[in-house]
Amino acid sequence: MINISGVSKWYGDFQVLTDCSTEVAKGDVVVVCGPSGSGKSTLIKCVNGLEPFQAGDITVDGISVGDPKTDLPKLRARIGMVFQNFELFPHMTVTENLTLAQIKVLGRGRGEALAKGLALLDRVGLKAHAEKFPGNLSGGQQQRVAIARALCMDPIAMLFDEPTSALDPEMINEVLDVMVQLAQEGMTMMVVTHEMGFARRVADRVIFMDAGKIVEDTTKNEFFGTPRSERAQLFLSKILGH
Amino acid sequence: MFGGFDFDVIERSWRYLFFTGMSFTLRLTLLAMAGGIVFGTMLAMMRLSSIKPLAWIAGTYVNTLRSIPLVLVIFWFYFLVPYIGAWVLRSDTPIHVGAFASSLLTFVMFEACYYCEIMRAGIQSIPRGQVWAGYALGLNYWQSMGHVVLPQAFRNMLPVLLTQTIVLFQDVSLVYVLSITDFVGAASKVAERDGRLVEMYSFVAVVYFIACFALSQFVRGLQARIAIVR
Repeated sequence: MINISGVSKWYGDFQVLTDCSTEVAKGDVVVVCGPSGSGKSTLIKCVNGLEPFQAGDITVDGISVGDPKTDLPKLRARIGMVFQNFELFPHMTVTENLTLAQIKVLGRGRGEALAKGLALLDRVGLKAHAEKFPGNLSGGQQQRVAIARALCMDPIAMLFDEPTSALDPEMINEVLDVMVQLAQEGMTMMVVTHEMGFARRVADRVIFMDAGKIVEDTTKNEFFGTPRSERAQLFLSKILGH
Repeated sequence: MFGGFDFDVIERSWRYLFFTGMSFTLRLTLLAMAGGIVFGTMLAMMRLSSIKPLAWIAGTYVNTLRSIPLVLVIFWFYFLVPYIGAWVLRSDTPIHVGAFASSLLTFVMFEACYYCEIMRAGIQSIPRGQVWAGYALGLNYWQSMGHVVLPQAFRNMLPVLLTQTIVLFQDVSLVYVLSITDFVGAASKVAERDGRLVEMYSFVAVVYFIACFALSQFVRGLQARIAIVR
């Protein structure tokens, strides 16, 4: 589904990604972890072309992201993305957030878009908040709306960029529960997160990144059981140590 | 102090001052504001464009016009536009451009530079993640500008845009150099005719003060009410 091969990226002279290759098969849940500044968020933003890269290629459903001839908006409409800071549109109600792209990008009618949006809002348990503005919701609620907004587009895969990092601890689980449910329904997911509990529960594979390189790319059991690299061992001991 | 003041001249002329003079000033202000904001927003989008020549053209335009006194631009436009128009239309004689059309064009082009800088700051104040979120949903550049960035930028900048409009309202009085009967022009005509310079110009100043002070108080109130809850 998502194929990343030999991707390198530079900010000026500074190389943020070095020869990254991996793939996410249909229905797979891949967790990307690693210390901050290791390039995981940059890598996931390359997948839908929000960040350009200078070498290598990424294909999603067989379509090249790096090819200048690719209709990027059209491709992005098929890939859902959830951000660390939710990024709901603050000047629109929850309903408007959910229907905007359905109407403008997919060309759905207002009624159809609204029905779809409300159904998904119900699914993330927020039907009562349809007419509120994002600023009046808690962080956890906003992130669930953001997930619903992405799902409204009927995505073939979902990208999560540290979806719980900006949340207060007591709100993390309500978001993770939605994500676990999605994973169990067979959604193809690439998730940048530090939530190792989530990785243990639903990940098929774990990718460990450090200094812009993919250091480990293994099954969940292997990663938590016997990480090969010293760097990953150190990371795990720190993150699981308490 | 006001012993020698002839208030009667105001009573005699206020209809002319407001219905002819002020109505022209307001019409020009509102049209120039609308045109200036639209053109200024386009300039701002160009200045922030990743297409270098567009950014360069807009930047040069803004910096050039902002370095020239407005009164010169008004003159320059009024006397040159007929010839430029003739050249563009390949006509032998200078085309006729009315004083209103000429001054409106001048103010739109001039004020657009200031509105541009305001809108540029407004666009830049929108977090990058908002643009990413729009793009990630499949919106293209124009859609994400139109539905996500500009509405927020516009709302954030509304107080500053209105403050600039108050400045524009005052600047419009400069069309008096073209002998146009705006509010100041009307007052000066009455003043010359009746020999009541002090009375008329004091009255004009008081009216401008009241209008501008009231507007800026309104903007202050607005500022608090429109803040987006984040």
